[in-house]
Amino acid sequence: MTTTSSHTSVVQNTSHKVVLPFYAYAALSFLAATVLLFFSTSAFTQHYFHPQTLAVTHTMALGWGTMMIFGAGYQLFPVLIEARLYSNRLAGFTFVLAGAGIPLLVYAFLTFQFDWPAMAGAILVNAAVLCFFINLTISFARSKSQNVHALFVLTSVFWLFLTTLVGLVLVLNFTRTILANDSLHYLSLHAHLGIVGWFLLLVMGVGSRLLPMFLISKYDQPKTLWQIYYLVNGSLLLFVVLFVISHSVLLFALPVLLLFASILLFVCYCRNTYRQRLRRQVDEAVKISLLSVAMMGLPLLMLAILLVALLTAAKDARLVLAYGFSVFFGWLTAIILGMTFKTLPFIVWNKVYFPLASTGKTPNPKDLFSLRLFNSMGVVYLLGFVLFLVGIFTANHLLLQLATVLLVTTSVLYNVNTAKLLLHKPTVS
Amino acid sequence: MSEVITNNNEKSREALTALSQVNDPEIGLNIVDLGLVYQLDFDDENKKLYAAMTLTTQFCPMGNSIRSSAAVVLQQAFPGYEVLLEVVFEPAWTAARISDEGRQFLNR
Repeated sequence: MTTTSSHTSVVQNTSHKVVLPFYAYAALSFLAATVLLFFSTSAFTQHYFHPQTLAVTHTMALGWGTMMIFGAGYQLFPVLIEARLYSNRLAGFTFVLAGAGIPLLVYAFLTFQFDWPAMAGAILVNAAVLCFFINLTISFARSKSQNVHALFVLTSVFWLFLTTLVGLVLVLNFTRTILANDSLHYLSLHAHLGIVGWFLLLVMGVGSRLLPMFLISKYDQPKTLWQIYYLVNGSLLLFVVLFVISHSVLLFALPVLLLFASILLFVCYCRNTYRQRLRRQVDEAVKISLLSVAMMGLPLLMLAILLVALLTAAKDARLVLAYGFSVFFGWLTAIILGMTFKTLPFIVWNKVYFPLASTGKTPNPKDLFSLRLFNSMGVVYLLGFVLFLVGIFTANHLLLQLATVLLVTTSVLYNVNTAKLLLHKPTVS
Repeated sequence: MSEVITNNNEKSREALTALSQVNDPEIGLNIVDLGLVYQLDFDDENKKLYAAMTLTTQFCPMGNSIRSSAAVVLQQAFPGYEVLLEVVFEPAWTAARISDEGRQFLNR
């Protein structure tokens, strides 16, 4: 008898058919955002509430960051909770709804017209987020392993839902009076719900799980992660309450301090993970991800300066622009550039080589993309990022234009490498 | 090599040689040197091979692939045996299970 049976509690991965479209969409959005940036450099020497700036920001936040996280989330969340994803169909709806809504919304910002495309775009994006939220919540409720990492993710999706809901109200408020003030007044609320509640919380939750795994680190401190969880959520809740009830700028220092504390703890967590690693050699994708942890300091520093500037009534539009740029093109982009090439090769490898495993020598996941292209992308990206920041502060058009050429090149290199992965054909020796 | 519980040392060595062909694709190190193999028991009378292994983390995205490859190489090494492969997480894998060769590999 030559039958083979396996008993295991290894989680079944989400189908690549669900996950890969998100990666492809995000890659194209990154390209679109950098091209848009190339044609919008003049907007970065003006006020931040500018049609082109809003269009670029939403392409980055939704098309690039959120679509990428939706895809990676559908792949990683079942692994975190050790259970299957509740519904592949809901995941498909998430893609279709967000995929249709984001271009409509970006178009509305670009033309600064808030009639039907804006409303349809905002409603579709909200529906997509709701699908994602429901899918993850039911998966979580059905699982037996409800750990801190999964709670980070689930809470971040809740904040995302609030972010897009506020966004929808702000879009409606452009054409009809719904809120007490104009939409510009609520921009910081909308932005920080998204940046801190969605992106930061999620990156912390997933990063604290993936980093020890990739580095084979002995460090494991769930208690610290719980402290970080409460600090970030406490900071955001306090910010929302103060935004609604208080007009004192000084009080806003409290949520900023809590946020500082949480990020400091997270940086320490990553540092200890790195120090206690067994794998001495750190690959390039993890290096960029670690760099992104350090890059969190930049927007944080600007946030502190902004707060001081607000206290002295000397708010500088350049500082706000640089703050937003360093969040979306800095920290968030760096982590996605790194983590794409740590997660996507595994998804593609499982898709292409799982049926062929042990039939011959299969390549390793890291061999499915070009390391040379990846390294070139990293160098060009860092140069473009730094030059653009300098361009914002010096209001130098030439510098801004040069930086956008570098950032477009970054997105082209990223897309070529992503396409190489997505279109990979099996090679077994 | 880390300790593997077995009731047949000779066959166990054969099984471990076969299993050392299976790599963790992320780390590039074979599962024997990683210390992922816990137990190899042979029931020659009923032609059954019971194997227990683990993963470096319960969250390993390559878990199914590693398990599947391990089952295939064991089946190839012991034709005629029914291979019963179980992935367990008790006791949890620790870095102490990595062999000296494995440590040298990771320190490269």
